[in-house]
Amino acid sequence: MDYLTVAMAKGRTAERAMKFLEKSDVRFSEWTDDSRKLVIYDDKKTIKLIFVKAVDVPVYVEKGAADVGIVGKDVMMEDPRDVYELLDLGIGKCKLAVAGFPNTPVENIPFLTVASKYPLVAKEYFDKKGIRTEMIKLNGSIELAPLIGMSDVIVDIVETGTTLKENGLVVLEEIADVSARLIVNKASYATKTEDIQQFIQDMKEGLEVRS
Amino acid sequence: MYSEILASEHEKHEKIIGTLSKRFTTYGYKRIKTSAFEQYDLYSNVRTSINQNEMIKVIDYTGEVLVLRPDVTIPLTQQLVQLNGNLPEEMRYYYVQEVFRQTFQENERIGKTQAGVEYYCESSPQADAETIMLACHALRDVGFSDVKIEIGYAGFFTELIADLQLTIDQTAELKTLIQAKNVVEIGPFLNQLPIDPSVKEILEQLPLLYGAPQVVFDRLQNLKVSESAQRAIDYLQQTYKIVELYGLKKHIVIDLGLINHMGYYSGIIFQGYVESFGKPVLMGGRYDSLSEEFGVKLPAIGFACEIDSLVKAAAKKELKERYSIDVTVFFKESRMKYAIDIANELRERDYRVVSKPLKGQASAKDSQYTIQLLEQQNLLIDEEEAKEFRDFKQLLDSITSKKGVPEWTI
Repeated sequence: MDYLTVAMAKGRTAERAMKFLEKSDVRFSEWTDDSRKLVIYDDKKTIKLIFVKAVDVPVYVEKGAADVGIVGKDVMMEDPRDVYELLDLGIGKCKLAVAGFPNTPVENIPFLTVASKYPLVAKEYFDKKGIRTEMIKLNGSIELAPLIGMSDVIVDIVETGTTLKENGLVVLEEIADVSARLIVNKASYATKTEDIQQFIQDMKEGLEVRS
Repeated sequence: MYSEILASEHEKHEKIIGTLSKRFTTYGYKRIKTSAFEQYDLYSNVRTSINQNEMIKVIDYTGEVLVLRPDVTIPLTQQLVQLNGNLPEEMRYYYVQEVFRQTFQENERIGKTQAGVEYYCESSPQADAETIMLACHALRDVGFSDVKIEIGYAGFFTELIADLQLTIDQTAELKTLIQAKNVVEIGPFLNQLPIDPSVKEILEQLPLLYGAPQVVFDRLQNLKVSESAQRAIDYLQQTYKIVELYGLKKHIVIDLGLINHMGYYSGIIFQGYVESFGKPVLMGGRYDSLSEEFGVKLPAIGFACEIDSLVKAAAKKELKERYSIDVTVFFKESRMKYAIDIANELRERDYRVVSKPLKGQASAKDSQYTIQLLEQQNLLIDEEEAKEFRDFKQLLDSITSKKGVPEWTI
């Protein structure tokens, strides 16, 4: 039989997704917290989990290397792909927000320098507000940019706000709510409809038990 | 070796084209060709999804702008319109041609071979079902077992939102949400629009109107839809009934969230998927309104597939054909004349034959049969045994009794 290939990034979201599936009796005994394996199978050998970098999940799914993927909405917003987005898993919740020093003006100004891991989302957001921007694409420690005067503001995901607070920054505007989504390859949905719908059902049941 | 890979890719390419052409012919289609250069104006005047930036432009000596054939459907329809005007009688054409689109990715070829059919006929569930059957049949011929054809209706979404007075941005966003079957965000998005609750319900349900035909049709029964949307559903249902008669039930998926991807489609639209390939390998639909852009009524339905995609999709499968040569003839110097005769006779009968003088080893592993013409003896050797033969008739009998006609012509 063919496996259902599921791509996700290692970490909290993956662990919680596996917990959801356990409630529907889909178990990954092979998996341990410190495992370095990149490919694991469930005990019934119907699902093949592959661990990839979060930003790569939509790529794997669009190309059909994975049938299903679990990935944050923020990744999908920055890099939209031709896939189905069928379920909100309600985990990994956070916000995509504009942050900076308190009282930094972000309305009715002509120009802003913005540092972000999400330059496309950020640019589109400010374009809609009619503010021209200079984008600085960074890959980490975004909060540093306003501290050393490299940018006026940052656009980043904010979970608890602790990092911002400790660096004297605040959320200035919220752009969107972010949570983990279940995405599906379009061809797989046609050729493996039942398997995928079953997988989604299993996930949903896990979600309901939790709430 | 690189050249080997190239040759085998090319062979597969040719083989798939052969298979498709043969199948198209059995449904009464005749092959046509269109010009490599088309008027740029032809494409700027017609509603199509082909991006103007993707067209390869050429300027002729008078300064007129031409494009390298970006598609076949549009110029073919234009030609038929000029020749015939309104539909005089039904016409069936197929083509295998390169189409040229500028790609913005490295390693992607600008020219891609497309094979497709165009069936000019009045819109009817029979004609549409037969075309879908042909699409499915052709993909199965290529060797795919898990073929799925997703069928939708081009006007369905447009009808639903016709009265909503959405802005272009809103329409685009709603389209994106529906194409992604984004159940999560459609609701909240619709809530901020002043729309009829019954329309809202259908739009929200649209991503779920997907799957086995009966399931989708049952779900539709519980929804209140406008008269024109109901006509679309009825047409779809009638078409499916005939498709079922063709024995295709398990290959069909209905998807009412499938949105028109070519500007000119008007009725049934469909795409074909095969196992373990992430993109559609075949796309088609009815385009009754295209000819109206040229001022006449020439309704038609058609589809096309990219041969490269099929080759890639088939690469993941075990090749049906194990041998690239049917017969290799090894001969002693003195038997050369007989070797040439045998080779010619076999080639006349469509076998692929290679002949070589016998020096040292006399085996060829890419060949199904080996013939050895020794001084005193003629041998026919296959995987199982070596057999002596006296004359050509006996040789042919032994070959045909084993495998009938040449493998590759089947």
